[in-house]
Amino acid sequence: MYAIERTRIIKKYLEEHEHAQVHTLSNLLGVSEVTVRRDLEHLEKDGWLTRTHGGAVINQNEIVDPLLEILEEPEDDGSRDEIASVALRMVKDGDVVMLTNGSVNIRLAVKLEERSNLTVLTNDLSIALRISLQDSNKVVLLGGDMDKSEKALFGSMALSNLRKFYVNRLFIEVDGINDNLQMTVNSQEKADLILGSLELSEHSIVVCPSDRFETSAFYRLGKISIAGGIISNSKLNEDYKIRIFNSNIPLFTTVAAFEGSQ
Amino acid sequence: MNPSLPLLELKNVRKHFADFQLDEIDLNLHKGEIHVLIGENGSGKSTLMKLISGWFPPDGGAILYRGEPVQFRSIHEAQRNGIIYLHQDVQSFNNLSVAENVFFGRIPTFWGIRSFVDLQRMLAECQLVFAELKISIDPATQLGNLGYAERQLVAAARGYVSAAELVIFDEPTSAMSEPDRNILFDILSRLNEKGTGIFYISHRMDEIRRIGNRVSVIHKGRIRGTEDCDSVDKSSLLKMMSGDVLKNRYPRIGAAPGPVVMKVKDISLKPILKGVEFHLRRGEILGITGLMGSGRTLLANCLFGIVRPEKGIIEINGEKVSIRHPIEAMSRGISLIPEDRAENGIFVHHNLIQNITTATLPRFRSKGILNESYMRELTQEYVREMSIKPGNTGDIMDTYSGGNQQKVMVSRWLMNLSKIYIMDEPTRGIDAASKVDIYNAMNDMVDKGASIILISSEIEEILGMSDRVLVLAGGRIAAEMNRKEATKERILDFATDEG
Repeated sequence: MYAIERTRIIKKYLEEHEHAQVHTLSNLLGVSEVTVRRDLEHLEKDGWLTRTHGGAVINQNEIVDPLLEILEEPEDDGSRDEIASVALRMVKDGDVVMLTNGSVNIRLAVKLEERSNLTVLTNDLSIALRISLQDSNKVVLLGGDMDKSEKALFGSMALSNLRKFYVNRLFIEVDGINDNLQMTVNSQEKADLILGSLELSEHSIVVCPSDRFETSAFYRLGKISIAGGIISNSKLNEDYKIRIFNSNIPLFTTVAAFEGSQ
Repeated sequence: MNPSLPLLELKNVRKHFADFQLDEIDLNLHKGEIHVLIGENGSGKSTLMKLISGWFPPDGGAILYRGEPVQFRSIHEAQRNGIIYLHQDVQSFNNLSVAENVFFGRIPTFWGIRSFVDLQRMLAECQLVFAELKISIDPATQLGNLGYAERQLVAAARGYVSAAELVIFDEPTSAMSEPDRNILFDILSRLNEKGTGIFYISHRMDEIRRIGNRVSVIHKGRIRGTEDCDSVDKSSLLKMMSGDVLKNRYPRIGAAPGPVVMKVKDISLKPILKGVEFHLRRGEILGITGLMGSGRTLLANCLFGIVRPEKGIIEINGEKVSIRHPIEAMSRGISLIPEDRAENGIFVHHNLIQNITTATLPRFRSKGILNESYMRELTQEYVREMSIKPGNTGDIMDTYSGGNQQKVMVSRWLMNLSKIYIMDEPTRGIDAASKVDIYNAMNDMVDKGASIILISSEIEEILGMSDRVLVLAGGRIAAEMNRKEATKERILDFATDEG
């Protein structure tokens, strides 16, 4: 295991437990106690922790490493990953794709590795970093004002950058859908960015896990029908399935019953 | 009765059923008029005719017959008043002779008391009528031995001798040869000359001008318009028939289809199928539609070995195969999810696990015994993926909704791991949530390399889900169009043109 990886794990352990014993870390990492001590030394120099007898204590009000946070896997009960798989089927090689910020789209970004010659536009730092690791795809990070909690860029600069592109496929991640099929997001800037990108895209689709239905965020985006369809997971409540179908909107779900042909 | 008054007049008639309604029906029929009714499948043509002929009363509005308001309580009461609906399933008796069927309902008045019916005399009378109408059927034959077209002629003869003032024909010419059609039209014009009023349900555009005086278009239980047959043009009729098209709601993820996996050549079975030809690609949803009687289900049954066509070739992956039985079809990787789950599929008194695993028991057999825990596990997986509710393995099927029963049927055949799925009316009569589940299962199937032949009478569903559309009419593939060029009007145009 490389030092950088060990450092990440030690930091995570300390964030959770506040203090750590050298022998615990040595067992956890599968390296010698000497190696652990050396790592702790480095971290102390960086101001991360204070060494104690036989271990270390985390320094409180420590600034967390923003890069690590960006690359952290968003939480998932499986549904976000499945939704991303359905979304992936809609992307073809050579497409110009726009992903708005959110945890489903982060998963989709990882899966886009299976396609090539994509141009991916996004306002999400985490998505941009992930696409940048893919050899055959290009990423354009829209500029703008940084929303620190979402790790995403918003504002007029993001929108005016977006206008330079013709987007084939837009994936909109929303934060809530109520029983009138009204979509909501948690900031005005996010609503503006989504509405702006809708105007510039050929095909648009909403991604929204079933647990975000029946909840409302603060800012209203419009009805699902402003997009060309929606992807959710198959355990979505039947009433919503009926309502969406009867509103003449295609609802793609994550049914994966077929085991394949023999 | 004032001769200028219509023979029959419907004013703002409505009738509501659980899943369908007739609304704001204004319609009239004059003596000696042939009034054609046209509309797509399920638009309400037959329901409207049943309402007129006493099958059920309207919920509102007025029916005037010979100028008087009427409300028939039964089909017999309507018949006593001179209204006869020649419906193929009703009042035709397979075990009786043709002559007895022709004179059914008239026997007492024609020959006095029923017990003194002289069969020989009735056969002779029938022979005379048939000679007059140029029908060449032996009156002594049992009705059950006749084909569809011949039965239609017998029914028409029954209408002719009935002395009814209003006769309703319901798609009599589907699957009828040209000479038989001429005989039928001759009967119609004779009735016409006698002053009989006729409603004629048809799906054939060419018949409208040939025999009709006026034509009314029904769409979703409403009369969209009534026109004179001489002046009406086909495109405006098609527009009225198709109405608003809701095709966006179908979730279809298109993909480039693969190589041809199935080729069908010259499938024929008299009198319905006359040389059906098409091919199917890997990962493709091929939609096949057509009007009632076009042979959609018969074709499906031929492909799955339930019915043996008179001739025709089926190739799977370039290899000519013989499919004489469903077991042979299944061994070739073909599954059929049949049209009528109540009749052909679901075992209502058996439980969920039995219903789901019944087509694939060999999968669960090891060393001569069934591995029940594997059966339960796999069933639970399908229940979860297909959102089958409530979904306990011991649930008895007759407690399930139609939609959940259908998802059980789909699961049963998915478990068979086939390459080609023939889905015949997979969403007919089920709730919208189950439809959404089944459409998404179809996407999953083709994404994993299976191919689907989607047979449906619902043109929107065909438009929404298919990569390519075939229109079956007159026993042949009348048209093929890809997803982009297919419209409801174009499909109806080909489907209604058999001439």
